Amino acid sequence: MLKNYFKIAIAVFKRNKFFTFISLFGISFTLTILLVLTAFVDKVLNDNYPDKKRDRLLYINRLEQRSKDGMMSGTMSYYYLSHFTGKMKTPVKVAISSMFNGTNTYVNNKKIALNYKYTNAEYWDVLDFDFVEGKGFNKQQVDHADRVAIISEDIKKQYFGDVGPVVGKYIEADNVNYRVLGVVKSVPVTDYMFYSDIYLPYTISKGGDYKSKGYSGGYMGVLLANSASDVPKMHEEYEALVKRIPPERKDYTQIHSHANTFLYAFLDTGNDGKSGVMIVVTAISIFVFIFTLLPTLNLVNINITRIMERSSEIGVRKAFGASSKTLVYQFIVENLILTILGGILGTVLAGIVLYAINHADLIANLELTINFTVLFIGVLLCVVFGFVSGVYPAWRMSKLNVVTALKAQ
Amino acid sequence: MFKHLFKLIWNKKKQNFLLITEMLVSFLVLFAVFTLMMFYYENYKKPMGLDYNNVWVVNYESNADIKNADSLKLYYEALRQNIKSLPQVKEISYTSGNIPFSQQTNQGAFTFRGKRTNGINNFTVEDGYNDVLKLTLLEGRWFNKTDIAGKNKPIIIDADLKAATFGNESAVGKLIGNDDDKEKMRVVGVIQTIKKDGDYSKAGPGMYYRADTGSYRWMNRILVRVAPGSDAAFEGKLYKTIANYNKNSSVEIEHLNNKLRSTNYFALIPMIILGIVSSFLVINVALGLFGVLWYNINKRRGEIGLRRAIGATGGSVSAQLVTEAMLLATLALIVGVFFAVQFPLLNVFDLATNIYIEGILLSALFIYLLVFICSLYPGKQAAAIYPAVALHEE
Repeated sequence: MLKNYFKIAIAVFKRNKFFTFISLFGISFTLTILLVLTAFVDKVLNDNYPDKKRDRLLYINRLEQRSKDGMMSGTMSYYYLSHFTGKMKTPVKVAISSMFNGTNTYVNNKKIALNYKYTNAEYWDVLDFDFVEGKGFNKQQVDHADRVAIISEDIKKQYFGDVGPVVGKYIEADNVNYRVLGVVKSVPVTDYMFYSDIYLPYTISKGGDYKSKGYSGGYMGVLLANSASDVPKMHEEYEALVKRIPPERKDYTQIHSHANTFLYAFLDTGNDGKSGVMIVVTAISIFVFIFTLLPTLNLVNINITRIMERSSEIGVRKAFGASSKTLVYQFIVENLILTILGGILGTVLAGIVLYAINHADLIANLELTINFTVLFIGVLLCVVFGFVSGVYPAWRMSKLNVVTALKAQ
Repeated sequence: MFKHLFKLIWNKKKQNFLLITEMLVSFLVLFAVFTLMMFYYENYKKPMGLDYNNVWVVNYESNADIKNADSLKLYYEALRQNIKSLPQVKEISYTSGNIPFSQQTNQGAFTFRGKRTNGINNFTVEDGYNDVLKLTLLEGRWFNKTDIAGKNKPIIIDADLKAATFGNESAVGKLIGNDDDKEKMRVVGVIQTIKKDGDYSKAGPGMYYRADTGSYRWMNRILVRVAPGSDAAFEGKLYKTIANYNKNSSVEIEHLNNKLRSTNYFALIPMIILGIVSSFLVINVALGLFGVLWYNINKRRGEIGLRRAIGATGGSVSAQLVTEAMLLATLALIVGVFFAVQFPLLNVFDLATNIYIEGILLSALFIYLLVFICSLYPGKQAAAIYPAVALHEE
């Protein structure tokens, strides 16, 4: 039965090549765009390098203090993070790091712009950076304020050129010489919580701002739980802890800070009243809705036109006793075959587009790929697309009166 | 004539309804694209207001370990002399962090004749700022040493702020109040508005304060105008001069023209993506419209044959079909414009009304053009139908 439908479908596609082209063009293009979008969102939100233990991690990246007529919101001081999270029992380890900041270095009269980040020693245990060579710094080195650095693969290439191991060599950055301890695989800048070119112990930060006892500063924290099942408990513990923290100044009446899962931390808007996840989900939904609405309408239009073209065939089948249900079924199958063809084409196109984007190097180290998640979403989209654009025309078709259908010929 | 065409459209309302919906959605998408494009273009037309070539930005941290404000000023004054003694440095100015193309904003309010205005960009700058960025002075003068003495704090405003507050009156010499209207400030000059967020973003309004001794506590940028052709070797020297002087702070040097490029890039990328996506959508819609119209005409051969047989010319048949398609487009546009005018009426985004109107006009024109082109060929085909052949089939 299905084989027959398939044969009919191919025959119909061949009969009017122009319409087939329009349908395929619409489907494959729409899918290409959606696949590229999914690949991007998937890469930014689901790529768990360097935080591979994501199911055991909670992220603290903002502290908000409100007074009657104002609010102060931003990253925290080293003191705040180490002092208060130190009182918590659930986390096994706490990684603390600053936001990335820019500086320059000059080698052989060439300028290199680079970003640096200060971290504590636990940072290298909580996060799983891929070390190309060497290893992270330990607690002793941090306590001694050793001038050591972990550098990214990119900056190794820029600073040292294509050479062998560089561990033990010195890199000058920000007018200071650091001994290279390790080289890690680069993180794309979209992962702003972990991106940097060189990572340094917080104890050697210029100006020594880590000593300040204020609550706000340039640091963020990541809590590591013993197991994934401890995460809710860790979340509760931090919420309870924040409620007990005395406000920094008398006029601050409220203090908010959360240990969030990656998605909520990553999409934080900087205001407790606004949910970043909501905003992003709404924006993407509106875009996808409008973007798929047009091709779907177009497809429905074309499909109706095509059915009317086949009214005699439908008339004959109905006259010989085919039920409306059978006809609707057949038409939807035909439409699905067309969409899946378009889907395959779209996937190929998406592959080409992603290849082009990766090669254009729009965002360094952001390697977009069609992985299983993306492919699965693509197949799902195809089926939904085929279904939605097939149902209404099929219903119109099944309503055709046998007599008029046959008479039209 | 039109009444008759409406009847024809009404008779096939089910199919036409879908076509109209498709045109309507296309119109709304195009409206968004054209409005954004017009917005960018309006901004692009305006002058930049500053010369960004050969200007470098030094980012440093204002955490010098000096408690007394006067000694702090002396500390930075000595650094200024060090930098200025370098041969290729023309002029320098310490400033607040919201330098041009930095994506940093620092906004405040002021009061004039009892009316408080919000969202004004506040810049804190020095006397040299004008020469570093080569601003265009429209009225009055830039800050100078005599400003220390005045009873009221001197401020300089940009042309956008002047137009909004003073209209055609002269602004120089007028007193305006600060945030809560307690302190009065005297306008000493008006400069051309600078486009601080790049070529494609909205400029102004802004006001400039002269840096005082207390400002050195928090100012964290130095703008440096260098001689043309200054290279990385010199930049390295400048870098060392600053980094060796101020050991407490990290130092980063950027070039203003590179900053402008990346700022523009971030404005253009969404536009380019939107442009590519919507042009494919338009091609898609055009092909669909063309297909449907073409098919409809083939189905109406009998009707067209009959019209030809009783004396209609080929031209009038094709005109009828094109007009029918245009009427459909008009119906879609009436609904579309109804939705589109809500944007300026409700002031959804902070855009001038004329940008919306231009967007509506352009997208309406585009839809008409699209429908016209798509119906032209099918219409021509219809005109070529011979009555004898068409009626014979029937």
